Amino acid sequence: MTTGVITPKTIIPKSGPLAQLLKASLTARLLMPVFVIFIWYVIYWTLDSRIFVPPHEVAQFMWAELTLNTLLKYGSVKSNVYEMFGITIFRLLTGFTVSMVLGTVIGLAMGLSKSVNAFFHDWVMAILAMPALVWGLFLGLVFGFGHQAPIYACILAGIPFVIVNVREGVRNTPRELFDMARAFGVPQQQITRNVLLPSLMPFFFAAVRYAFSIGWKGLVIAEVFGSASGMGWTIKFWYDAHRTQGVIGTGLFFVIFALVLEKVVFERFAKRAFKWRPQAGDIDVVEEQFLFDPTIEGAGEAEYVSEEGING
Amino acid sequence: MVTTQEKPQGADRSAEEERLLAEQRRENRNKWIWRITGYVVVLAVWEFLSGLILEEALLPGPIRIFQTFPDIWEGGTLLDNFGATLTRIGIGFGLSFIAGAAIGLFTQNRWLDSFFRDAVVVSLTSPGLVWALTGLIIWGFRPLGWIFAIFMTTFALVSVNISEGIRALPKDLLDMSKAFGVSAFDRQRHIVIPHLAPYIFTAVRFGFSIAWKVTVLTEVFSSNKGIGFQLRVTSQVFQLDEFFTWVLSFFVFALFLEKVVLQKFEDRFFRWRPEVSAA
Repeated sequence: MTTGVITPKTIIPKSGPLAQLLKASLTARLLMPVFVIFIWYVIYWTLDSRIFVPPHEVAQFMWAELTLNTLLKYGSVKSNVYEMFGITIFRLLTGFTVSMVLGTVIGLAMGLSKSVNAFFHDWVMAILAMPALVWGLFLGLVFGFGHQAPIYACILAGIPFVIVNVREGVRNTPRELFDMARAFGVPQQQITRNVLLPSLMPFFFAAVRYAFSIGWKGLVIAEVFGSASGMGWTIKFWYDAHRTQGVIGTGLFFVIFALVLEKVVFERFAKRAFKWRPQAGDIDVVEEQFLFDPTIEGAGEAEYVSEEGING
Repeated sequence: MVTTQEKPQGADRSAEEERLLAEQRRENRNKWIWRITGYVVVLAVWEFLSGLILEEALLPGPIRIFQTFPDIWEGGTLLDNFGATLTRIGIGFGLSFIAGAAIGLFTQNRWLDSFFRDAVVVSLTSPGLVWALTGLIIWGFRPLGWIFAIFMTTFALVSVNISEGIRALPKDLLDMSKAFGVSAFDRQRHIVIPHLAPYIFTAVRFGFSIAWKVTVLTEVFSSNKGIGFQLRVTSQVFQLDEFFTWVLSFFVFALFLEKVVLQKFEDRFFRWRPEVSAA
């Protein structure tokens, strides 16, 4: 970067401000929603459907839901979108906690012992590959339409990912570091805190992420088929009521929730959890273990930043 | 295995090698014993649960499910339903693979990359259920409805894998071909695509594993045949033994396609590569 190499970009002749604005990455990003809404209107105008609605009606619906001015009451339940969301989040957190605890235990055992690994491996893979729909239909029949069926579905959807990630983490612990720490007489507690946990962190973090996002998808499907409350049930309710704005609006709530979870919560958390990484320059061996992704990510960001700097 | 060894076997093998081989053999045997124990224990617990803890009508045991399979086979609808589901997967995933791969290739251009970035993120994070119901409500039972659902859930997986491959492209080769005036099409054909092949295979395997689940989900809502439809019907009439037979037979079939057929195909495709065939 600082070597002063002239890249081809600097030779490109300058164009007018409008062309530059159109070429900017941010413009492209903002054009996507515009494009989607345009296509939506085109479908609305060309399709002969009595129940399909244009985007502004969905927006109205979502606003009415958020301000508690819904046109329809939720059947006999008499509830609102916040309560339904609360129920779903309660189920999600319960399922998440259980699958994290159980999955970590099983994953640790599988990582440490080859026999345990051989014992569980195929079944974990089978549960991982099973569609959430099956859990939803089956558990709904077994446990009735209460909290149990969706929570179990959430656990079953999320736990294989926790197990697999924790197992990989245990397998990837730097053995030389353990040996060295022991040779220098470092107390066990300190080894656990300073060697084992940091090396497990990336895998554990991936486990959290998967347990949340896959568990959320499984939970929503289970709520459609095996529950009488929650967000999954809500989307099914609007679907049965032939209210397109309800289906798409609730679907958008799902998507927004998942995006917020992914982008805001997890990325913040990841940044905080791995803040120590770039500063760990004095511990070269540890650094080498993790050199892989921070450099790629950092390089990617730097490219985008420089590109936007040139264009805007 | 024996043929690849350089040394003649038998007398030349040192004691150390013997010991290592024996250890490996023991470990392998140990692994298989535990694996089989795992199968036996899980199946036994399942069988035990299905009469004592839960009624057999609610949780049919593995033996019952195994016995139901011939009934369904004799019913004659099994292949029909499998065919219907596979057709849906083929059309839906085929189209979304083509579009996803195209979008993945577009990420070479920075403008198009940022144009599609948010769409890819949304597709990756949103549940398939949303798209299944949305497609259904827009297009009804018409094919476009389920194609839309399968497309929206799988195209991002494909394009993410392809663009991951593009990020790892040999930049020097591309620069050189540009310098020597190779046309954009030839660059894609001779450098980009061969380099991307492993990523494409990963995309197919990942995409397929998601695609069949979404397909089954769309069939629950908008079909009169196929696995999803059978799941809905059998669960509505509380025939859980048939329900599990349908699920598990297709599940095994999908895993077979995913792990065996695609893997074989991939191995064959990369036969020319020494390092992969050796591994």
